[in-house]
Amino acid sequence: MKLSRIRIAQFRQFRDAIEIDGLAPGLNLFTGPNETGKSTIVTALRAAFFERYRSNSAEDFRPWGDGSAAPSVTLDFEHGGEQYQLLKSFLGKKRCELQISGAGGPVRRLDGAEAEDHLATLLGFQHASKGASKAEHWGIPGLLWMAQGTAQDVREPLAHATGHLRTVLGSAVSDVASSHGDDIIARVESARGELLTARSGKPTGGYLAALERRDQLIASAAQVAAEIEEYRHKVDELARLQQAHEADQAQPPWLEARDQERAAARRLEDIQEIERTLGEQRVRVTQIEERAALLRTQLDGYAKETRTVDARRVALAEARQAHEAAAAGVGPWRQRLEESTRQHEAARLGAQRARLRERRLALDREHGALQVSVQAATQALASAQAEQARQQDHERRAAALRITEQDLAGLREQARLQRELELRLSAVATRLEFALEAGQSLAIDGDTVQGSGERQLAKSTALTLPGVGRLTITPGGADLTALRRQADEAGERLSSLLLGLNLASTDAAEARAREYGNTLAEAKVAAATLKGLAPQGIDALRAQLARDETRLREVEQARAQLLRQGDDAEQQAHSAIQPTTQPETSPLSAQEAESRLAAVERTLKQINTDLHKAQLTASDSQARVDAAQREHDAALALLTAPGRAEKEAACRQSFDDTLAQAASARARVESLLAQVEQARPDILKQDLERYRRSAEQLEQAFHQRRDALMRLDVELQAAGARGLEERQAEIARDLAQARRHAQELTHRAQALDHLLTLLRDKRATLTARLQAPLRQHLQRYVQLLFPQGHVDLDTDLMPGTLARAGTLGLESAAFDELSFGAREQLGVISRLAYADLLLEAGRPTLVILDDALVHSDDQRLAQMKRILFDAATRHQVLLFTCHPANWRDMGVAPRALDGLRARG
Amino acid sequence: MLKILHTSDWQIGKLFGQFESDDAALLADARFQVVEGLAHLANAEQVDLVLVAGDVFDAQTVADRTIHRLFKAMSAYAGPWIMIPGNHDAGLAESVWTRARRLGAVPENVTICLRSEPLVLARPAVAILPAPMTQRNTYADLTEWFAGADTPAGLPRIGMAHGSVQGILAEGIDSTNPIAAGRAAQARLDYLALGDWHGARQVDERTWYSGTPETDRFRANASGCALLVSLDGGAAPRVEVRATGRYRWQSVVATLRVPGDVDNVIDTLNSLMAQDVVTLEIDGQIDLDGHRRLLAAIEQARGTARGVLANLGDLRLAPTQDDIDALHADGYVGEVIAELRAAQEGPGVQGDDARIARDALALLAGMLA
Repeated sequence: MKLSRIRIAQFRQFRDAIEIDGLAPGLNLFTGPNETGKSTIVTALRAAFFERYRSNSAEDFRPWGDGSAAPSVTLDFEHGGEQYQLLKSFLGKKRCELQISGAGGPVRRLDGAEAEDHLATLLGFQHASKGASKAEHWGIPGLLWMAQGTAQDVREPLAHATGHLRTVLGSAVSDVASSHGDDIIARVESARGELLTARSGKPTGGYLAALERRDQLIASAAQVAAEIEEYRHKVDELARLQQAHEADQAQPPWLEARDQERAAARRLEDIQEIERTLGEQRVRVTQIEERAALLRTQLDGYAKETRTVDARRVALAEARQAHEAAAAGVGPWRQRLEESTRQHEAARLGAQRARLRERRLALDREHGALQVSVQAATQALASAQAEQARQQDHERRAAALRITEQDLAGLREQARLQRELELRLSAVATRLEFALEAGQSLAIDGDTVQGSGERQLAKSTALTLPGVGRLTITPGGADLTALRRQADEAGERLSSLLLGLNLASTDAAEARAREYGNTLAEAKVAAATLKGLAPQGIDALRAQLARDETRLREVEQARAQLLRQGDDAEQQAHSAIQPTTQPETSPLSAQEAESRLAAVERTLKQINTDLHKAQLTASDSQARVDAAQREHDAALALLTAPGRAEKEAACRQSFDDTLAQAASARARVESLLAQVEQARPDILKQDLERYRRSAEQLEQAFHQRRDALMRLDVELQAAGARGLEERQAEIARDLAQARRHAQELTHRAQALDHLLTLLRDKRATLTARLQAPLRQHLQRYVQLLFPQGHVDLDTDLMPGTLARAGTLGLESAAFDELSFGAREQLGVISRLAYADLLLEAGRPTLVILDDALVHSDDQRLAQMKRILFDAATRHQVLLFTCHPANWRDMGVAPRALDGLRARG
Repeated sequence: MLKILHTSDWQIGKLFGQFESDDAALLADARFQVVEGLAHLANAEQVDLVLVAGDVFDAQTVADRTIHRLFKAMSAYAGPWIMIPGNHDAGLAESVWTRARRLGAVPENVTICLRSEPLVLARPAVAILPAPMTQRNTYADLTEWFAGADTPAGLPRIGMAHGSVQGILAEGIDSTNPIAAGRAAQARLDYLALGDWHGARQVDERTWYSGTPETDRFRANASGCALLVSLDGGAAPRVEVRATGRYRWQSVVATLRVPGDVDNVIDTLNSLMAQDVVTLEIDGQIDLDGHRRLLAAIEQARGTARGVLANLGDLRLAPTQDDIDALHADGYVGEVIAELRAAQEGPGVQGDDARIARDALALLAGMLA
């Protein structure tokens, strides 16, 4: 289909007619800013085809404010080798005329609705049955004519055109279509849906219920089977118990046990009797044995008495022997004592003598010493008294010469002051030198001088020159007088001091001070000498002398007495020692004599002790002898007491009797014990208990079994009444039916599932085959736009997932996930592909793009231009744009809409 | 002359789960009705005695009402009924019999022999030697004591037992509850009434299995009857087999090869009547039309007959080209049909896969038709 002319009159903003002539069979580019009528042209084209000429909705087409206008559109176009002219006007002049003139054929004219319907069939759209035409009626043109800003929307216009496209596809591959395939699929789906869920294919609805019922019944059957098993088990148990119960009733087993129990009890009683006798016998044996023991003790007593006498006799003899020995030990010790006593006496005398000698000697030595001492002390006392007198003398002199250091210092000070003043006076005074001729003299203030000399003149001095007269020299200066006075005062003070001390001059004072010092020193020497002679003073010396003299007298007295004593002792010693000992060649020292005496004394003391010990032993043994004698006598008295022998004989007799009794009693005990041990009463007791318990247990078991029987009987009656096996049969019956039902449904579900899968697979295969041409066309464009691009088609012929080369390899995205720009591009592309398909089927195609692709970037736009240019080689394309610059390189001259209007 | 009605294996309380529940209920009910029929028969034939040789009940623990209902069903015949327990209703310590006694359901004229001891009746004058089962199964011959049992001279000696007579079945089969062959002669019995086998059968001159009076399984021969036995002195008993059952149980086995085969099966199905109980075992292959007709016939038979079991598991659905043409299955639906056909045959096809393919094909055909 190729438009060649469009004429629009009284249509919206085109109050006047505009005419677009000479449209190219390929691309036609219309440019103009907004509001210049681009969209109005598109609207007019739609109105010409889609709106019934009678439609009242055409009011919308009238130019604003022009109530009488009759909007009209005239189109010239070619299709399938025939020329068509369509004139359509609305409202005021409702008309529709279609002229069709074939190549050389007759001209056909179609009017009104007939013309409209012809066009609808030709282009593939419908008219609205009532009111304004809507998108749903637009069919193929609705898809190919892209209004402003709708190119990205494919789904909706495609849905309205699918029927027409399918016809085209179907007719293209008519040999694989199925006349009622989709209907069958829907029915199979529906039937399957009754049994299985659509998504996961799990049982649902009646099928699920059937399976559940089957499973419930299986569970019930199992339960009932278990109950029946238990019931049967109980029945068997009942039979067993009944049999046992009857057997026990016929012959109670506990009776035997009771008999055995009684027998055991009897035997136990017998043995207990024996045990009692045994006990008594044991007591008897004990009594007899006690008696025997008593008798034995008695006999032992008698025997012991006899043994005691013997023992005492022996002891007495032994004691006597011991006493004799002890008495013999005393004699030698006495002799030794006497000898030692003598020795001791001699030693004592020797010692005494020695002591006296020693004393005398000591007194002699002291006496000598004292004599020397008295003599020395007398001399010392005399010297000391002399020295003391000398000291006192010196001290007296010193007191007379006394001058203090202070006095001396005062004198010296005053003398110095006087000298100093004299010096100053002489310095200030007029010096008078003189050198007199030998023998010449002169008097100076009365003093006669000779020779040469000089004088200090401190005051008016009169020189009397013998022979010449007198010269008075008065020294100048005011203070000379004062100095003179001070010097005089100093001289007076010195004189007064000297006077106070009774001295003539200072030199005399010095000499006296030296003399005083010497006297003091001498007094000190005398004191020191005295100190050396009598350190403690003279009185002490004197006292010492007195003491020594007294001691000397005492010593002399003692010596005298000692001499007398010595004579006595000498005589004594001679009388005592002479008969026994040799005279001593040399007298022993007192110390030696003392130590000898001490040794003799120790010996004597030892001998004394030993003698005493021997005497004690002797007397002790004597005492023992006495005691032994007494004990011996006492024991002998017991033994020889009258009647004792008879008593002892009787005692022995009864002891023998008792022993015999004990033996026989013990034998009896042995025999009884043997009986008891053989009978084992403890085991007998256990037997008794065992039989008793057995009987009880058996009886109890019997009763328990009877109770169990009753219980079981009741249980079984109750269980039997429940008709378990009949119920089992019922359940089995229901289960069989449920299984059958479930199986049927399973089979049906499997069959439906299988069938549906098969149908869908086949259909999908077929669809793929049917869509192949469209796919090819689409692919051709996609690859121009996207490198390695590939786009799917879904069963509605809608572009699906787009796969293309991206930065990270092949990327794919669903159509709806693409950017607006990409969707718009794909939208245009797929429409061009649909147009190609339609063209192949010989259907009219006209592509209109109103301000499309404004969201494409330069690169994509460039590709889209190539695509559009390519498409325009097969289809007529009307492209409206307000961006003429974008479309300069399309190889066609743009038509400016402004210009068109001007032509109108 | 002594006239006896010999029956056994009533299997009261048996349910028939393999059938639809309404059919099963009717089949279960028929077991009571046949007892009523036996009572009427005994009455009509004026028998002296009815012997029931075991398995009166199908289970020990049937519902109380079942027990009541059974003994009520026997009420039409007021003469003596002698019963022994069989393996299904053995006289255990606690059994259906003790319960029946406890319930007071057993009428005066019914004697249940729970002990192996002679029962001597005055009217009619007869000595019964029962061999009741007191265990569920036994490997001992419970009739052993018959020979040693003395009975009053001149009275007919009639044995009753439940089990398998030795030497009739193949060795090793059902060796429980044995009964020695030739027991009747050995124990000087005038007649030995046996139960346990569900088909009527004469074992020897004086020994018979009565079979169940109402058939309860497909593989039972000569079931659904009772025996009228006449004893006259020492002569051999005269035994008359009387049909008592209502339902005919039959198996239909067919392999479909050619289209005509299915017609035979359908004819059989169409000829079924209300007292028929049928099991179908059909394999081979069938076309769509035949399959449709067969299923329709089975459904119809289910309406008429008392029970129809159909096993078509091994049947293969093979649509002919005509079938497919008739379905107008063009395009991919046609391809699906071809694939489902192929999936039913060929080597390596699993049983389930073939079945699923067949079912799917049948469903598809049904939708296309």
